[in-house]
Formats: sequence, C-alpha cells, structure tokens
Amino acid sequence: MRAETFVRKLIACALAGAVSMPLILNPVCVRAAESEEKAVTLRVCNWEEYIDLGDWDETIDLESGDIIGENSMVEDFEEWYYETYGKRVKVEYSTFGTNEDLYNMLTLGDVYDIVCPSEYMFMKLMAEKMLVPLSDEFFDETDGNNYYTRGVSPYIREVFENHEINGESWAKYAAGYMWGITGIVYNPEVVSEEEASTWRILNNPKFKRQVTIKDNVRDSYFAAVGALKHDLLTSPEFRADPNYKQRLEEEMNDVSPETIKTVQDYLQDVKDNAYSFETDSGKADMITGKVVANYQWSGDAVYSLDQAEEDDYILNFAVPEESTNIYFDGWVMLKSGIGDDAEKQHAAEAFINFNSRPDNAIRNMYYIGYTSVIGGGDDTRIFEYADWCYGAEDDEEEVVEYPLGYFFTGDNSDENYVITAPEEQLRRQLFAQYPTQEAISKSSIMVYFDSDKNDVINQMWINVRCFNLYDVPVWAWAIAAAVAAVLIYLFVRMKQRQKMYE
Amino acid sequence: MHALKLTRKSLGIPYALFLLLFVAAPLIVLVYYAFTNGQGQFTVSNLTGFFTDPNTLGTLCYSFAIAVTTTVVCLLLAYPTAYILAKSNFKRKSVVVMLFIMPMWINFSLRITALKEILTLIEGNLAYYPFLNAVIGMTYDFLPFMILPIYNTIVKLDESLIEAAKDLGADERSAFFKITLPLSVPGIVSGIAMVFLPAMTNYVVLDMLYNSTYIMGSLIGSYFAAYNWHGGSMIALILLGIICAFTLATKGMEDEDGSAAGGALL
Repeated sequence: MRAETFVRKLIACALAGAVSMPLILNPVCVRAAESEEKAVTLRVCNWEEYIDLGDWDETIDLESGDIIGENSMVEDFEEWYYETYGKRVKVEYSTFGTNEDLYNMLTLGDVYDIVCPSEYMFMKLMAEKMLVPLSDEFFDETDGNNYYTRGVSPYIREVFENHEINGESWAKYAAGYMWGITGIVYNPEVVSEEEASTWRILNNPKFKRQVTIKDNVRDSYFAAVGALKHDLLTSPEFRADPNYKQRLEEEMNDVSPETIKTVQDYLQDVKDNAYSFETDSGKADMITGKVVANYQWSGDAVYSLDQAEEDDYILNFAVPEESTNIYFDGWVMLKSGIGDDAEKQHAAEAFINFNSRPDNAIRNMYYIGYTSVIGGGDDTRIFEYADWCYGAEDDEEEVVEYPLGYFFTGDNSDENYVITAPEEQLRRQLFAQYPTQEAISKSSIMVYFDSDKNDVINQMWINVRCFNLYDVPVWAWAIAAAVAAVLIYLFVRMKQRQKMYE
Repeated sequence: MHALKLTRKSLGIPYALFLLLFVAAPLIVLVYYAFTNGQGQFTVSNLTGFFTDPNTLGTLCYSFAIAVTTTVVCLLLAYPTAYILAKSNFKRKSVVVMLFIMPMWINFSLRITALKEILTLIEGNLAYYPFLNAVIGMTYDFLPFMILPIYNTIVKLDESLIEAAKDLGADERSAFFKITLPLSVPGIVSGIAMVFLPAMTNYVVLDMLYNSTYIMGSLIGSYFAAYNWHGGSMIALILLGIICAFTLATKGMEDEDGSAAGGALL
C-alpha cells in the first residue's frame, strides 16, 4: 500500500515536471534566442594570463574607493557594454603564447577581431596591411566613455605618435595595453648593483653558469648589441648628443652584416657562460637560487621579486646602463575579422576603452603584474595604486622621493606625482614597475626588421644555438668510429653464420 | 560469410579516415614545404643546405649521440629488469610491473621538474653536465617504453626450450645466451624503436630540465618560430628518413607481438 502511494506520487511529480518544464523554460529560451540574434560577437586573442580573471581574495583600498575583481574582466565588459550602449556583445576570448605563434595562427587562417601583440609584431602587421585603423570617435576626448584617449600616459602617447612604419604612426592602428623594459634581476648578496647594471654581466666569467639569458633572438640580440657597444653608449659625448634618443635607437637597431657577425660571436661566448636560455624557467631558477642573475622583462621581474620575498629571499632589479629595451603590447583590430562591420569595430574599441578605465587598468595590473599604459588623466586612482603598492609606511626610516610625473602628466617635477617610498624600492619592484625617468631616458625600442634582415638574424640565432660540427672533440669521433667498427664486425659475422647454416 | 567480411572491413573505415586526415595529409604538406622555397618554387636547397651546414650537421650528431646513449642505457637497465620480472613468481610480479608503469601515470612535466631538483642537489650546477643531464632525463622518461616490450617477449617464451637446452647439457649461462637472448630480440628491437626517435626529438624534456641542450627537435622548433617552415619541414623529413632506414635495417627481427606491445604503449 505504502509503496503504491510512493509510486503514484513519483508519477505525479514526473508528470507535473514534464508539464511545467516547457512553461518555465520557454520564455528563457525565447529571450536567449532573441538576444543571441542581436548580439555582436567579438573574437579577442590576448597573451596567456594577461587579463583579470576575477575571484580575488584581497581588496585594494584606495582613497578614492575600493577596487576588487569579482568577475572576470570579459564578463564585466559584456555587462558594461549592454548597460552603456544597450547592445549585447559576446566575447570569444582566446590566448596565444608568443608573437610568432600569433602570426602563424593568423596566416593559417584563424580569424580574430582584436589582438594584442608586441610593438614589433603590430609593426609587421601594419606593414603587411592587415589592420583596420582606429576610428576618429575613438580619439574623441569629449566622450566620457573614451577612457583610453582620456587616460593614456602622455609619455606613452608620445611614443605611439612618434614611431612610424611606412609613414604611418603606431597610434593610427594601435592602442597600448601594457608596457615594460628589460633588465637584470639579481641576487644582491652575490652580485653588486654595478655588476648587474650592464649587459656585459651575461658573459662575465665571475658568474660562470649562473646567469640566464632569454631564449629568443630579439631579446638576445638587443643585449648583445648593448654589451658590444658599451663604450660608445656610455660615453658622455654620446649621451650629450642633441639627437641622443634617435641615435640610440639607430645604434640599438643596427643590423649591418658586421654587427650581426660580432653579435653571433658574442652570443657564442654567452652560451658558454650562461646557465641556460630560457623563456619561463628563469623565474623559478632565480627564486630557488640556481642562478644569481637573470635577464628579465620588468613585469616578470616584479613577479620574481614578489615570490622571492615570500620566502624572505631578497632579489633586486637593475637596468643596464647602455640601454634598455622598452616594449609595448597593444590592441590592434584585424581586417580579416572586423572587415567593415561598424558594430564590431565599435565593440572592439569599447573593449579597449573598458580595459583602459582606471579601475579596470588597476585590476589588470594587480592580476598580471605588468604596468598599464594608462596614467588615468584627471583620475588619480592609478597613481594612488602605485602609492598603495610601494609607498612607505609612516614608521619607515630610510625613504626617498620617487617622482613619476613624467609618466602621469608629462612633467616630472609635478609634486602631485611623487611617491615617498622606502629607499630599497630604488632597486626593487617600484623601479621595475615604474622605472625612473633617468632609466627611461636610456631606453630604446626595437623595431621590426624587414624579412630579408629578419632571415639573416634568425639564421644567426639558429647558428648560435646549434652544436657546431667542428666542436666535436677528437675522442668523440674515436668512440663513434670504434662503435661503428664493432657493429659492422658483428653484422658481418652474423651474415656469415647464416650462410653456414644454409 | 560475405556479410561478415564486409562488416569487418567497414570497421576499419574510421581508422583509415584517421590515417588519411592526420597522417597522410600532413605528410603531403610536409613534403611540399620541404621541397619549396618562400616563393612556392621547387627547390632542393633545403636538403643540400642541411647537409652542408656544420651547425645543423653538428646538431644532428649531437642528438644522435644523445639518442644512442639513451637507448643503450635504457636497454642495459631494462633488460635485466624485464628478465627478473618475467621470471619471478606471479604474485610479486604484478606489483613490480605496476611499480614500473606507475611513473607513467604521473604528469611528465611534474616528474621532470622533480628530477631537476634532485639532479641539482647531486651535481650542484646542472649547466656543467649538459650531455649527462640530457641522457638522464631522457632515460627517466622513456625507460618504461623499453621495459614493457622486452618483458612481453620474455614472458611468452616457451619454457620447454630452455629445459631442452639444459637437458642437452647447457649451463644457465649458455642457455641464456643461446636461447633466451636470441628469442627476445624482437622485444629489444621494438623497445629501441620506441626510445630512439623520441630521444632524438623530444626537446620538451630538455627544455624543462636544462634549456641549453639543443637537439633536432629544438632545431625544428626554431625554424618554425622564425617562419621558416621550409627548413623545418625538411629536417622533419630527414628524421623520418633516418627512422625508415632503421626500420628497414631491422626488418624481420620484429615479430607481431613485439610491435603490438610497443604500439599498445603509444
């Protein structure tokens, strides 16, 4: 009897469920289908781990309010776009590992609307006419939602406007995202600041097998040129040249055959002196103490210093005195994806703007450790964030004034943009994240080389990495010959025996 | 009967399609790239370039040396292990076999990272022993691929053959060298095939362990990173040729069981 009622109840429930299901689901289905129809799809391809994914357990409590990443930046953008423009946008977010991978993906036919390569790669894309220029509306400073043009650091704006390829400035096609410089992370107990402040540390025999270098041709080339031209680049006459900046960039981008030849020889030396060529493992090797100095990008340097600090292990960051490679990752829109779809382009530009909104720029910076190109304009939150990160506590004894006006307003003497920081920060995370104007003044970009030059440089790099036949020692040849002789002998004997049995 | 034949044939269609799509088609693309230049014209300069450049030849020799050493070390470690495993009594055997397969269930990047720490502890600075580290890392990674095929052939050996040899006056030693060893050659051959090629190209192991050892796989990677798909394809093709030559040279030594044991591991 009991069982029977139970079964009956079960059937009733199932029936009720079956009946009500479509009723509940139907309106949702219809609504979803409707918005799906109208939604703009935006295909974004960015570096791996290069945007805030939310789920924080710490709040950044700035004077102008708290900032916390709850949802991912992409989700927040979709919501914000609907609230602001009344239109649905669906972001398909994917990632790439290296600039070269991205380029290969694009040439193999992957379609994206907006991507974020480094400056030399967007220069290449510009030269190959693969990009859609940013619209005039994007640069309209009267529009409150144009966070990029209202907030981008004057220093970065100048760089993007003054660098050209084929007569067109970067700014026409690219909006900056993150930027940084290259330098040396070192262990101050073993390496002095002076020893670390030159590219020549890479082949300094004092640190034999204890330094790492980047496993890619561009970074290695830059370091080699810096080391080889040390005397010229650090001479007072060269520094005092009225066209210093321009000449520096010419010297650092020197790809004459003679220079390539000397760079190859130099890198061969470095190969025999370095611990490894690395892309990612250098951070771990540095933190675990396997090496004492490592060639690093500033964003990863901040990460290394932070991680080491958690184990009470102090690392420092130095910028080579010859020159440092300043690099930019920037958003560009692709012809193959956007075409002349105005709605799509609007969504893409809104995506850049949303990521440039000061609180969002802070969220991205906090999450990935790199430095945003956004200074904030009238909004002081980004400066407050830098101060929140690195400013000295009240009881700190040794403090220094660290001016950052050059980045935030274009005027380094601006008293509103000076961080009072612990003295050690001159060599630590603050210096890596926001280098001093002095360090920046010695920076050089590394341009995109045309494909002929590129081929020569790439071949040079492969030659460096390869094991040269002439380096095989005599004893190795002797062993190889002996092994071959034994094998031939065994083979012949085996054949003879087989014949005997037959 | 006829119907049965048809169904059995049709069962092979998915695999045939797979082969066509993921083996044959890429191979055609590979050959196309290997014999063309940037302008899409036919050329053999990729081939001649490889064999006239002391850098690529040196790298080939270096990878060859690593691969040969790794294979020999694997064989020397694996044969006695497989032999003992196969000859021991059943209960313990399954446990020991498990012990050898278990490392393969752990993600290899984790294993290599652990190995790096252990080697650093022993050697102090890895960078001074690139060749040794490469061989250790490869051996660590590929040893199970050598043990299992050998184990499989030895365990299936007809025990009565050895008994017969002993009846005819052979001692343990000569029974092993005249009966067991020659009969386990198929297992050895498929073990070598399983270890040799990966040891020549699997640069991920070396990258994670100690990223300054440059082998053929790294060279292909560099060519592709430099957009030189033609040079990279040619090197892949040359490696393919080397493996084909090896397979042809050992043809007939491999029985079906041996290759099946190897194939099951892949």
